[in-house]
Amino acid sequence: MSVRILFSTLRRRSFMPTLVMLQVALACAILSNVSFLAWQQMEPMLAPSGVDTENLILVDGLDAPNRSWTKAEVQAGTEALREVPGVRAVSAAMGLPMVVSVLSVRAYSGPTGVKVGANAYEGDDLLDTLGLQLVSGRNFLSSEYRDIGSDQGKGVPEPVIITQSLARQMFGDSVPLGQLLHSPGDGTDPGSVVVGVVRHLLRNQVGMATNGRADDTVLLPDRVADSWLLSYAVRVDPQMRAAALRGVRKAVKKQFGPLLPTGSTPKSEFYATRRAEVFKSRRAALVLFAGVALTVMAVTVIGIMGLTGFWVQKRTPQIGIRRALGARRSDILRYFLAENTLIVGTGVALGMALAYFGNSWLMRYYELPHLPWAWLPLGAAAMVLVGQLAALGPALRAAAVPPIVATRTR
Amino acid sequence: MLRYNFELAARGLRRFPKSTLLVVLTVALGLAACMTTMTLLHVLSADPLPGRSQHLYLAWVDTVLAKPSHASADLMAANGIKVNDFHNIKLADAQALLSAHRAERQAVVADMVADEVSDDGRHTQPQQVVLATTSDFVPMFGVALRYGRDWTPAEDAARVPVVMIDSDLAQTLFGTPNAVGRAVRLKHTLFRVVGVIQPYAPQPHFYALSLGAYSSDGGENLYVPYQAALDAGLTPNSSDACDASYKMSTIADVDAAHCASLSVWVQLDTAQQVATYREFLQGYVAQQANLAGFGKTPRSQLTGVADWLKQNDVVPDSARLNVWLAGSFLLLCMVNVIGLLSARFLHRSGDVGIRRALGAPRRAVFLQHVLESGLACLVGGVLALPLTLLGLWILRQQSDDFSGLARLDPAMFAALFATALMVGALVGLLPAWRVSRVEPGLQVKGE
Repeated sequence: MSVRILFSTLRRRSFMPTLVMLQVALACAILSNVSFLAWQQMEPMLAPSGVDTENLILVDGLDAPNRSWTKAEVQAGTEALREVPGVRAVSAAMGLPMVVSVLSVRAYSGPTGVKVGANAYEGDDLLDTLGLQLVSGRNFLSSEYRDIGSDQGKGVPEPVIITQSLARQMFGDSVPLGQLLHSPGDGTDPGSVVVGVVRHLLRNQVGMATNGRADDTVLLPDRVADSWLLSYAVRVDPQMRAAALRGVRKAVKKQFGPLLPTGSTPKSEFYATRRAEVFKSRRAALVLFAGVALTVMAVTVIGIMGLTGFWVQKRTPQIGIRRALGARRSDILRYFLAENTLIVGTGVALGMALAYFGNSWLMRYYELPHLPWAWLPLGAAAMVLVGQLAALGPALRAAAVPPIVATRTR
Repeated sequence: MLRYNFELAARGLRRFPKSTLLVVLTVALGLAACMTTMTLLHVLSADPLPGRSQHLYLAWVDTVLAKPSHASADLMAANGIKVNDFHNIKLADAQALLSAHRAERQAVVADMVADEVSDDGRHTQPQQVVLATTSDFVPMFGVALRYGRDWTPAEDAARVPVVMIDSDLAQTLFGTPNAVGRAVRLKHTLFRVVGVIQPYAPQPHFYALSLGAYSSDGGENLYVPYQAALDAGLTPNSSDACDASYKMSTIADVDAAHCASLSVWVQLDTAQQVATYREFLQGYVAQQANLAGFGKTPRSQLTGVADWLKQNDVVPDSARLNVWLAGSFLLLCMVNVIGLLSARFLHRSGDVGIRRALGAPRRAVFLQHVLESGLACLVGGVLALPLTLLGLWILRQQSDDFSGLARLDPAMFAALFATALMVGALVGLLPAWRVSRVEPGLQVKGE
């Protein structure tokens, strides 16, 4: 008997709260997913580059599809760039930060068996030219350098400089210097020996710079020679940035112009320009995600405000009675805010479950990233806050109901 | 009766203009978000060649003389790089499959990159993608000729340097769309223009995926017999794998004789033909005795267009995810509107009570309110159209290679209004039912 009454009262009274709860649940699920997608776009943009971004010029587009650059030509290019006034250091390189046209990939496994893919930057003294911060170990010795693709130094472990993040992934807390890294799948390889560790170095496969993989980058003691791809890193005097850029462009044109095929355009730009280009589509996507999130919030706020407002209005006589019986304004305000918290809280709990299981379900069919648990409370917190703000207006109006209302019959 | 209810509904909408505006706006937003993402997915997953694609198959035999390298596969996988696997084959196999004539039609297809220079040397289009193929391509893929003719099987066999160009290229290089009789220089060879075609760019670009599945700025603008192109020193743009004995000296040095770099597409009209051709392919690869030394089992595959697109994950999963997100957003908007309408309808319980007391049946009250919500949603649907166009415009500004294709077509236009009506009916049901439950006596007394 009492159960039936309970249910019928609930059904009578629960229509509006249920609608609010459903809205909050849906909005929370959408927001968690959208903010996670936005974060995936943002992660590579927030990762520290590790390089001297202000004073670094990157040169690429020197691709010779029908021939190879000889060692002498590469060296001549380096010399020509060194002559430019304002230039402090020059390295011919395969793989450079923010240069996405040249990719050099490696895979290593450490003593614990962890396998990690990494981008390699190969070139003469890149540690100095890129302005990297060495936290332990040393730079490559000049005797350790060898030409890319040659058989020099085969059979002995190749020296490698890794990042702090890679050191942690591979060796945990033990000292990385002098330790061996192996290339998975190849038993005959002598492996690589860690000689130095830098603080940060952002990989140039920016799409992979998520989930703590941004610093999965290594430096290798390889000199560019007999390669159809070529790029240069040039570090310049902070006082002479503009002049140095002009000089570098002129030198590149003079040195390589006649050798390049028609229609190819070498590109010499500061790091910041290259970065803006690489992240252009990410920024556009972020604007889109922000628009989506704001729209979802706005629709939800309007919904909660409308429904709560109506609900408060319906209960004006009851509020009057409570005030007449001695409830203070703050009691009424607190009551309605608490009610909102309860409804929104239930909705948020439902929404988190919806987001999580929705994501897992979609992952079964599509190649989507896994929505981490830790991500859910963020959307939830946003919704609770938004819910309170939306309910504040109606709750204040409720609190303003004078006790005299109780005496009126409606 | 219906007309009277209609009038009441329209009156109701005008009575609370603010809340009507909210309802209309919310519905419009939800519909526009949903339609924008649906339109993109619709464009991306459309049949590239309706009426033809179900008869086209990609023939593949694995005859590359190299041991499959697990180490390099591991390396690529660790760095999230997809290894080329476009089911290309080597030159000798392509020639063998073509000369066997086991299908209704068959064509070699390969993208190659070259500078296109007009015969007078005055105009150059640098680094263009040209399609190296054989004479059957035109009838198989439904390419439309504008001027001149396509080249003949005899010209294929004789490796005659001829080309077909599209009318846009003809205009750029020669200043006139009818460029028949002129010539285009590729590398150091002059190719005589025998025909001018309409620009041809089916989306997705399923017959040659190496340069991306979608392109907002058209397909290849020049078609050339592949043998003549190879003679002129052009090389395929990409290869799946090369024989172990072959070493590339430069990046463009894809030697079709040693590298799997040509596709063979065949037209098979009946299931029987498909089955027979499949057997033929497997028989062909099984005969390749020299494969045994590389530890390879004889592998062949005959893939239809739809399966080929699925196998290559051509439709980006993000487009599908966006439809799910937008769908949830529409649902959110619908719940919101249900709330708004309920509040609004119950607000006038008094009026309804009087109507009921004067003898209006529940049915009439229900109908009036469903009509009112339907009307509001229809207005929302109309407003959603410009919003959808705006959404598609925003999508086209994204710089990935497929978003540029997002445009509304009549089918999606119709779908928009069907969805608007459905949404209108759905969100109206519950509030209208609630208001039709209002008891006549009580309300009159209350007032």
